[in-house]
Amino acid sequence: MTNEIEQALRRLLGPGVPEIGCDECFDVLDRYVDLELAGADADAAVPGLRPHLAGCPACREEYESLRALAAG
Amino acid sequence: MTIAPRPCELARATVTAVAPTTERALDPDSRAWLTGLQARGADRDDAVARLHALLLRAARFEVSRRRALLPHIRPGELDEIATEAADDAAVSVLARLDDFRGASRFTTWAYKFALLEAAVKLRKRAWQGRELPLEQTTWDTFASRSLRPEDAAEQSELLACVGAGIAEALTPHQRRVLVALALDGVPIDVLADRLGTTRGALYKTLHDARAKLRRHLREHGLEPGRSGEEVDR
Repeated sequence: MTNEIEQALRRLLGPGVPEIGCDECFDVLDRYVDLELAGADADAAVPGLRPHLAGCPACREEYESLRALAAG
Repeated sequence: MTIAPRPCELARATVTAVAPTTERALDPDSRAWLTGLQARGADRDDAVARLHALLLRAARFEVSRRRALLPHIRPGELDEIATEAADDAAVSVLARLDDFRGASRFTTWAYKFALLEAAVKLRKRAWQGRELPLEQTTWDTFASRSLRPEDAAEQSELLACVGAGIAEALTPHQRRVLVALALDGVPIDVLADRLGTTRGALYKTLHDARAKLRRHLREHGLEPGRSGEEVDR
Protein backbone atom coordinates (compact mmCIF):
# COMPACT_ATOMS: atom_id res chain seq x y z
CA MET A 1 0.00 0.00 0.00
CA THR A 2 1.37 3.44 -0.80
CA ASN A 3 2.28 5.81 1.95
CA GLU A 4 -0.34 8.23 0.71
CA ILE A 5 -3.10 5.63 1.01
CA GLU A 6 -1.91 4.59 4.47
CA GLN A 7 -1.94 8.17 5.64
CA ALA A 8 -5.38 8.73 4.15
CA LEU A 9 -6.70 5.64 5.92
CA ARG A 10 -5.28 6.94 9.19
CA ARG A 11 -7.00 10.29 8.68
CA LEU A 12 -10.26 8.57 7.75
CA LEU A 13 -10.28 6.11 10.64
CA GLY A 14 -8.76 8.26 13.37
CA PRO A 15 -6.89 7.01 16.43
CA GLY A 16 -9.42 4.30 17.32
CA VAL A 17 -8.96 4.67 21.07
CA PRO A 18 -10.75 6.88 23.60
CA GLU A 19 -9.78 10.51 23.21
CA ILE A 20 -10.77 13.92 24.46
CA GLY A 21 -12.25 16.59 22.18
CA CYS A 22 -10.79 19.86 20.89
CA ASP A 23 -12.21 22.06 23.66
CA GLU A 24 -10.90 19.77 26.39
CA CYS A 25 -7.58 19.58 24.57
CA PHE A 26 -7.23 23.36 24.69
CA ASP A 27 -8.11 23.41 28.39
CA VAL A 28 -5.39 20.94 29.41
CA LEU A 29 -2.72 21.48 26.74
CA ASP A 30 -0.55 23.83 28.83
CA ARG A 31 -0.52 21.39 31.74
CA TYR A 32 0.35 18.50 29.44
CA VAL A 33 3.21 20.40 27.80
CA ASP A 34 4.74 21.57 31.08
CA LEU A 35 4.51 18.04 32.50
CA GLU A 36 6.28 16.72 29.41
CA LEU A 37 8.98 19.35 29.64
CA ALA A 38 9.47 18.51 33.31
CA GLY A 39 9.98 14.85 32.42
CA ALA A 40 6.76 13.72 34.12
CA ASP A 41 4.32 11.15 32.76
CA ALA A 42 2.00 13.57 30.97
CA ASP A 43 -0.02 10.78 29.34
CA ALA A 44 -0.90 9.30 32.72
CA ALA A 45 -1.86 12.72 34.09
CA VAL A 46 -3.89 13.74 31.03
CA PRO A 47 -5.27 10.56 29.46
CA GLY A 48 -6.96 10.88 26.10
CA LEU A 49 -4.93 13.86 24.92
CA ARG A 50 -2.22 11.95 23.05
CA PRO A 51 -4.79 10.04 20.93
CA HIS A 52 -6.54 13.32 20.20
CA LEU A 53 -3.30 14.80 18.90
CA ALA A 54 -3.04 11.79 16.59
CA GLY A 55 -6.53 12.42 15.24
CA CYS A 56 -6.70 16.22 15.07
CA PRO A 57 -4.08 17.97 12.89
CA ALA A 58 -5.03 21.45 14.13
CA CYS A 59 -4.61 20.60 17.81
CA ARG A 60 -1.40 18.74 16.99
CA GLU A 61 0.04 21.81 15.28
CA GLU A 62 -0.82 23.96 18.27
CA TYR A 63 0.67 21.39 20.65
CA GLU A 64 3.92 21.33 18.67
CA SER A 65 4.11 25.12 18.68
CA LEU A 66 3.36 25.37 22.39
CA ARG A 67 5.92 22.73 23.25
CA ALA A 68 8.59 24.44 21.17
CA LEU A 69 7.78 27.87 22.57
CA ALA A 70 7.55 26.75 26.20
CA ALA A 71 10.83 24.86 25.91
CA GLY A 72 12.67 27.94 24.63
CA MET B 1 -4.47 -4.53 10.00
CA THR B 2 -4.54 -5.24 13.71
CA ILE B 3 -7.49 -5.79 15.96
CA ALA B 4 -9.12 -2.77 17.51
CA PRO B 5 -10.21 -3.46 21.09
CA ARG B 6 -13.44 -1.50 21.13
CA PRO B 7 -15.16 1.43 19.48
CA CYS B 8 -14.16 4.71 21.03
CA GLU B 9 -16.74 7.02 22.49
CA LEU B 10 -15.69 10.64 22.43
CA ALA B 11 -18.37 11.81 24.80
CA ARG B 12 -17.61 9.13 27.34
CA ALA B 13 -13.88 9.68 26.97
CA THR B 14 -14.36 13.38 27.45
CA VAL B 15 -16.14 12.85 30.71
CA THR B 16 -13.79 10.26 32.13
CA ALA B 17 -10.42 10.72 30.50
CA VAL B 18 -9.24 14.08 31.76
CA ALA B 19 -8.06 13.87 35.31
CA PRO B 20 -9.22 16.84 37.35
CA THR B 21 -6.73 19.64 37.72
CA THR B 22 -6.16 20.31 41.36
CA GLU B 23 -5.34 23.78 42.54
CA ARG B 24 -1.70 24.03 43.50
CA ALA B 25 0.83 26.53 44.77
CA LEU B 26 1.91 28.92 42.07
CA ASP B 27 5.55 29.22 41.12
CA PRO B 28 7.00 32.69 41.89
CA ASP B 29 6.94 33.88 38.28
CA SER B 30 3.32 32.86 37.78
CA ARG B 31 2.38 34.50 41.09
CA ALA B 32 4.06 37.72 39.95
CA TRP B 33 2.09 37.66 36.68
CA LEU B 34 -1.21 37.19 38.52
CA THR B 35 -0.43 39.84 41.11
CA GLY B 36 0.38 42.38 38.42
CA LEU B 37 -2.62 41.60 36.26
CA GLN B 38 -4.98 41.71 39.25
CA ALA B 39 -3.54 45.00 40.54
CA ARG B 40 -4.97 48.47 39.85
CA GLY B 41 -3.68 51.57 38.16
CA ALA B 42 -0.17 51.82 36.77
CA ASP B 43 0.93 48.43 38.09
CA ARG B 44 -1.85 46.73 36.16
CA ASP B 45 -1.19 48.81 33.05
CA ASP B 46 2.43 47.74 33.19
CA ALA B 47 1.50 44.07 33.63
CA VAL B 48 -0.98 44.22 30.75
CA ALA B 49 1.68 45.76 28.51
CA ARG B 50 4.11 42.98 29.43
CA LEU B 51 1.37 40.41 28.80
CA HIS B 52 0.72 41.83 25.35
CA ALA B 53 4.44 41.69 24.55
CA LEU B 54 4.52 38.05 25.67
CA LEU B 55 1.52 37.18 23.51
CA LEU B 56 2.91 39.06 20.53
CA ARG B 57 6.10 37.05 20.82
CA ALA B 58 4.05 33.84 20.77
CA ALA B 59 1.93 34.96 17.83
CA ARG B 60 5.02 35.93 15.84
CA PHE B 61 6.53 32.56 16.71
CA GLU B 62 3.51 30.84 15.18
CA VAL B 63 3.61 33.06 12.11
CA SER B 64 7.29 32.31 11.58
CA ARG B 65 6.63 28.55 11.79
CA ARG B 66 4.03 28.83 9.05
CA ARG B 67 5.61 31.51 6.88
CA ALA B 68 6.98 29.04 4.33
CA LEU B 69 3.48 27.67 3.75
CA LEU B 70 2.10 31.16 3.08
CA PRO B 71 4.31 32.57 0.32
CA HIS B 72 1.42 34.51 -1.20
CA ILE B 73 0.86 36.61 1.93
CA ARG B 74 3.06 39.70 2.21
CA PRO B 75 5.24 40.04 5.34
CA GLY B 76 3.43 43.19 6.46
CA GLU B 77 0.12 41.38 6.48
CA LEU B 78 1.62 38.51 8.45
CA ASP B 79 2.77 40.93 11.12
CA GLU B 80 -0.69 42.48 11.19
CA ILE B 81 -2.13 39.00 11.74
CA ALA B 82 0.33 38.42 14.60
CA THR B 83 -0.61 41.73 16.23
CA GLU B 84 -4.32 41.04 15.86
CA ALA B 85 -3.82 37.56 17.33
CA ALA B 86 -1.96 39.04 20.30
CA ASP B 87 -4.72 41.61 20.82
CA ASP B 88 -7.44 38.95 20.78
CA ALA B 89 -5.41 36.61 22.98
CA ALA B 90 -4.88 39.38 25.55
CA VAL B 91 -8.63 39.88 25.78
CA SER B 92 -9.14 36.13 26.28
CA VAL B 93 -6.38 35.81 28.87
CA LEU B 94 -7.67 38.74 30.92
CA ALA B 95 -11.24 37.46 30.71
CA ARG B 96 -10.20 33.99 31.88
CA LEU B 97 -7.62 34.99 34.47
CA ASP B 98 -9.66 33.36 37.22
CA ASP B 99 -9.45 30.04 35.33
CA PHE B 100 -5.69 29.89 35.82
CA ARG B 101 -5.05 27.50 38.70
CA GLY B 102 -1.32 26.95 38.36
CA ALA B 103 -1.59 23.61 36.57
CA SER B 104 1.19 24.97 34.33
CA ARG B 105 3.43 27.99 34.30
CA PHE B 106 1.47 31.16 33.64
CA THR B 107 3.49 31.85 30.51
CA THR B 108 2.67 28.41 29.04
CA TRP B 109 -1.00 28.96 29.84
CA ALA B 110 -0.98 32.40 28.21
CA TYR B 111 1.03 31.28 25.18
CA LYS B 112 -1.65 28.81 24.12
CA PHE B 113 -4.20 31.59 23.63
CA ALA B 114 -1.88 33.49 21.29
CA LEU B 115 -0.88 30.36 19.39
CA LEU B 116 -4.52 29.39 18.91
CA GLU B 117 -5.51 32.86 17.71
CA ALA B 118 -2.57 33.06 15.31
CA ALA B 119 -3.02 29.53 13.97
CA VAL B 120 -6.74 29.98 13.34
CA LYS B 121 -6.24 33.35 11.63
CA LEU B 122 -3.48 31.96 9.43
CA ARG B 123 -5.49 28.90 8.42
CA LYS B 124 -8.45 31.07 7.50
CA ARG B 125 -6.25 33.55 5.65
CA ALA B 126 -4.63 30.74 3.65
CA TRP B 127 -8.09 29.58 2.51
CA GLN B 128 -9.56 33.04 2.01
CA GLY B 129 -11.28 33.25 -1.36
CA ARG B 130 -10.93 29.53 -1.96
CA GLU B 131 -13.99 27.39 -2.48
CA LEU B 132 -14.16 24.34 -0.29
CA PRO B 133 -14.06 21.08 -2.25
CA LEU B 134 -17.07 19.73 -0.39
CA GLU B 135 -17.89 16.26 -1.64
CA GLN B 136 -15.80 16.82 -4.75
CA THR B 137 -13.49 13.99 -3.79
CA THR B 138 -14.65 10.43 -3.34
CA TRP B 139 -12.63 7.66 -1.81
CA ASP B 140 -12.62 5.83 -5.14
CA THR B 141 -11.10 8.75 -7.04
CA PHE B 142 -8.65 9.41 -4.23
CA ALA B 143 -7.56 5.78 -4.08
CA SER B 144 -7.33 5.37 -7.83
CA ARG B 145 -5.02 8.32 -8.26
CA SER B 146 -2.84 7.29 -5.30
CA LEU B 147 -2.47 3.55 -5.80
CA ARG B 148 0.00 1.53 -7.85
CA PRO B 149 -1.81 -1.16 -9.89
CA GLU B 150 -0.28 -4.03 -7.87
CA ASP B 151 -1.41 -2.40 -4.62
CA ALA B 152 -4.87 -1.79 -5.99
CA ALA B 153 -5.27 -5.52 -6.66
CA GLU B 154 -3.83 -6.55 -3.30
CA GLN B 155 -5.89 -4.12 -1.26
CA SER B 156 -9.01 -4.12 -3.36
CA GLU B 157 -11.25 -5.62 -0.68
CA LEU B 158 -10.19 -3.16 2.00
CA LEU B 159 -10.36 -0.16 -0.28
CA ALA B 160 -13.74 -1.14 -1.67
CA CYS B 161 -15.07 -1.61 1.85
CA VAL B 162 -13.78 1.81 2.91
CA GLY B 163 -15.44 3.37 -0.12
CA ALA B 164 -18.71 1.58 0.58
CA GLY B 165 -18.56 2.59 4.22
CA ILE B 166 -18.12 6.25 3.34
CA ALA B 167 -20.95 6.08 0.83
CA GLU B 168 -23.43 4.01 2.82
CA ALA B 169 -22.72 4.11 6.55
CA LEU B 170 -22.48 7.86 7.08
CA THR B 171 -25.05 10.62 7.09
CA PRO B 172 -24.59 13.25 4.35
CA HIS B 173 -23.22 15.71 6.92
CA GLN B 174 -20.78 13.17 8.34
CA ARG B 175 -19.65 12.26 4.81
CA ARG B 176 -19.12 15.89 3.88
CA VAL B 177 -17.11 16.59 7.03
CA LEU B 178 -15.03 13.40 6.83
CA VAL B 179 -14.15 13.87 3.15
CA ALA B 180 -13.33 17.55 3.54
CA LEU B 181 -11.10 17.04 6.60
CA ALA B 182 -9.52 13.66 5.88
CA LEU B 183 -9.23 13.58 2.09
CA ASP B 184 -9.34 17.16 0.87
CA GLY B 185 -7.18 18.61 3.64
CA VAL B 186 -9.51 21.43 4.59
CA PRO B 187 -8.40 22.82 7.99
CA ILE B 188 -10.99 22.18 10.67
CA ASP B 189 -11.22 25.88 11.61
CA VAL B 190 -11.89 26.84 8.01
CA LEU B 191 -14.59 24.20 7.62
CA ALA B 192 -16.17 25.17 10.94
CA ASP B 193 -16.25 28.79 9.86
CA ARG B 194 -17.87 28.00 6.50
CA LEU B 195 -20.43 25.67 8.06
CA GLY B 196 -21.24 28.07 10.88
CA THR B 197 -20.16 25.75 13.66
CA THR B 198 -17.23 25.30 16.03
CA ARG B 199 -14.05 23.25 15.92
CA GLY B 200 -15.25 21.20 18.86
CA ALA B 201 -18.61 20.40 17.30
CA LEU B 202 -17.01 19.54 13.98
CA TYR B 203 -14.49 17.23 15.61
CA LYS B 204 -17.36 15.42 17.31
CA THR B 205 -18.93 14.88 13.89
CA LEU B 206 -15.58 13.65 12.55
CA HIS B 207 -15.21 11.32 15.52
CA ASP B 208 -18.67 9.85 15.03
CA ALA B 209 -18.04 9.37 11.30
CA ARG B 210 -14.76 7.59 12.02
CA ALA B 211 -16.45 5.32 14.56
CA LYS B 212 -19.15 4.40 12.02
CA LEU B 213 -16.55 3.70 9.36
CA ARG B 214 -14.57 1.48 11.73
CA ARG B 215 -17.76 -0.36 12.67
CA HIS B 216 -18.57 -0.87 8.98
CA LEU B 217 -15.14 -2.40 8.38
CA ARG B 218 -15.48 -4.72 11.38
CA GLU B 219 -18.92 -5.85 10.23
CA HIS B 220 -17.30 -6.87 6.96
CA GLY B 221 -14.52 -8.81 8.65
CA LEU B 222 -11.86 -6.12 8.41
CA GLU B 223 -10.24 -4.85 11.58
CA PRO B 224 -8.90 -1.32 11.42
CA GLY B 225 -5.78 -0.67 13.47
CA ARG B 226 -5.16 1.94 16.12
CA SER B 227 -2.91 4.94 15.76
CA GLY B 228 -3.56 6.75 19.01
CA GLU B 229 0.06 6.81 20.12
CA GLU B 230 1.60 7.66 16.79
CA VAL B 231 2.51 11.27 17.38
CA ASP B 232 6.12 12.35 17.49
CA ARG B 233 7.14 14.18 20.61
